Amino acid sequence: MEIPLAQEIIFGLVIGSYIALGAIGFTLVYGLVNMINFAHGEFITVGAFVGYLAVVFGGLSIPMAVAVALAITAVVGWVIARVTFEPMNEAGAVPLLLMSIGLGLVLRNGFRVIAGADRRTIPRDVTTYRFDDWGFFVTSQQLFIIGVTLVAVVVLHVFLSRTMLGIAMRATSDNEDLALVSGIDTRRIRNAVWIAASGLAGVAGVMLAVSQSANPNVGFGQLLLIITAAILGGAGSPYGAIVGSYLLGIGITVSVAFLPSGLTELNATMAFVVLIVVLLVRPGGLVNAEVRTS
Amino acid sequence: MSRKETVGTDRRTFLAITGTGALTTVGLAGCIGTEDDGNGGNGGNGGNGGNGGNGGNGNGETPDTVVVGQPGSLTGTWDFLQPAASDATDLAVQQINDAGGPLDAEFEVNRQDTTVDPQQAREVLRQFIDSDGVAAINGLYSSEIEPLWEFIQEQEVPIITPWPGSTYLDTRGGDKGTDETDDDEWLWRTVIGDTVHTAGAAEAMIDEAGVERMAILSATSAGEEGWTRQFTSWYEELGGEIVEVISASEGQSSYQSQLNELFSNDFDAWALSFALEDAITILRNWEDGGYGGQLLMEDGLRDDSLIDEVGEQADGAWIAAGSTEGPNYDQFLSSYEEVSDEGLHPWAVAAYDATNIIALAIHHAGETSHEAIQRSIGAVSRPDGTTVTTFAEGKDALDNGDEINYEGAVTDCDFTEHGNVWGDVVVERVTPDGFETEFTISGDELQDEIDEY
Repeated sequence: MEIPLAQEIIFGLVIGSYIALGAIGFTLVYGLVNMINFAHGEFITVGAFVGYLAVVFGGLSIPMAVAVALAITAVVGWVIARVTFEPMNEAGAVPLLLMSIGLGLVLRNGFRVIAGADRRTIPRDVTTYRFDDWGFFVTSQQLFIIGVTLVAVVVLHVFLSRTMLGIAMRATSDNEDLALVSGIDTRRIRNAVWIAASGLAGVAGVMLAVSQSANPNVGFGQLLLIITAAILGGAGSPYGAIVGSYLLGIGITVSVAFLPSGLTELNATMAFVVLIVVLLVRPGGLVNAEVRTS
Repeated sequence: MSRKETVGTDRRTFLAITGTGALTTVGLAGCIGTEDDGNGGNGGNGGNGGNGGNGGNGNGETPDTVVVGQPGSLTGTWDFLQPAASDATDLAVQQINDAGGPLDAEFEVNRQDTTVDPQQAREVLRQFIDSDGVAAINGLYSSEIEPLWEFIQEQEVPIITPWPGSTYLDTRGGDKGTDETDDDEWLWRTVIGDTVHTAGAAEAMIDEAGVERMAILSATSAGEEGWTRQFTSWYEELGGEIVEVISASEGQSSYQSQLNELFSNDFDAWALSFALEDAITILRNWEDGGYGGQLLMEDGLRDDSLIDEVGEQADGAWIAAGSTEGPNYDQFLSSYEEVSDEGLHPWAVAAYDATNIIALAIHHAGETSHEAIQRSIGAVSRPDGTTVTTFAEGKDALDNGDEINYEGAVTDCDFTEHGNVWGDVVVERVTPDGFETEFTISGDELQDEIDEY
């Protein structure tokens, strides 16, 4: 039986949404703070555990848990950044990179020591909507993750294009020194970036805890795809990260249908093949610098 | 709470923390490239009689303490199986010490985390052998053993492990049934191999369930691919047809497209060969898509964690694994339930047997040299001699000058010349409350079908 392409695209949009929520924050930090944060996956894990606690012990609905995880993870991420990354702000990219790798390891194993090895799944109530005439189905959970991501994207767009803080962020991203002499409080901008990036990671964490489980590796497991999506879209570009995430997600799912059955495990590899091709043809990523800074 | 219980709990907590520290250290070392080629540690094995750090020796002197190393998965993909295995091991240690210990020495298990990573397992083994002077090893997974096989052989340290089902070990390990150690391969397992339980699972599907066409969704890790390969081989040999095998890498946020691809085929039942983390996602995706169909899951998922996490989604699925119920199971179970709340699985029971056999082999050897212990493993566990089911019984019999035959909690522990054991295979039905036996295929029946094992 042939798998309808529409079905694969829906699955791809879902996977792309998981990736996008992480990739937007990752690329914001890269663009504004000028560091590759390998601990970003652990911020997602914080969100997963907060979401779990909010639903199971707090009795909240999953949408409410998303809001709580967004707020708490934003604060946690900001505090961590203030304590670890900000004092090293002038140290350069490599020390910051090493700090993020070390911080990721410490956080990941800290979760393990505190929470143990047990998986914790969030109870869910899923409704499946079937569109047999078109040969696909979609669940309420899938619609929720796509919807939450779309809301995040719209809010981000409005924030970056219509608010003073967002415009200042873009200015700082283009040229921090120039922004500084223009009177922009770049420290305030960095704080805002950490809060936004961590908050989005928290939302991604709740989504992953619902589909998988809250466990110490849940965020780290997504990190490679998140980084790939950010680079694919054009590192530093939130819009590019969104494009890259959905291309990656759809590429992963659609390729399953086209690969021979013995090679279906190469579906994720196919996504990286796309990345390599894009980087060879367009080294700056899909969304180029002009678009990013316009 | 007794002193021993307090100490045990503190030690576990301590080991969890130190294990994590070791993971961090090794992880960082890996990042900055400080690992050497890993072959430099063999010198520490010189003179297997020398477990001097623990007072053990090969000269007939009685040590104060005998230490056994337990490489475990305190973290990593299979960490959900470790708590029960640790508790079963600790139970055996407690019973062994209550009976006076091997060689009248205090018996200890030093547990360290390998994360089921071969490189880290090599470092842990090296520490056990070179620094801790362990008498024997109780652990190691298939995915650690296969890449480290030559390294393990070079160490010449007896290893009895409850974990590996790998077919790689079907013709490797054990003592070849001779008294000499020249032809020994130093590794034994107290859990039945994949060859046996996949044969049992295939037979149950064909003969008991009447399932003639199956599809498989399999992970790409060595253990899961091995299960898939073996099951496919047996199932087709028995006349069944595998219509499709979809492979997928681990750690994906959704397996919906793989399930969709799988269910585009026509079959009577489908098999799932994944570790728990991904199995949770897949079972939720399966329910969301309303695919239906009879599901058979691999043995690694036979754990209460599955019930806790997705018992409702998996309701009605089958799971094929080695039976937990060996000759001494009831006696073990009652003791285990007094000390642990962790759900039992075959590997935990096998860990109890491995610990007892190591202690009995040390007592039989009369010393803690690796060679003497290796020579004694078959001697205390194979048929002939007084049947014993606990260390206490075995120690009494050995002190009386009798030969003994340890009958285990999970199997009868009659090792083949390759260090393998036979046991029953059970197919259970998953319910939201636990596992219920559906079919049982006896180990004796399977022995007729398997040539070399």
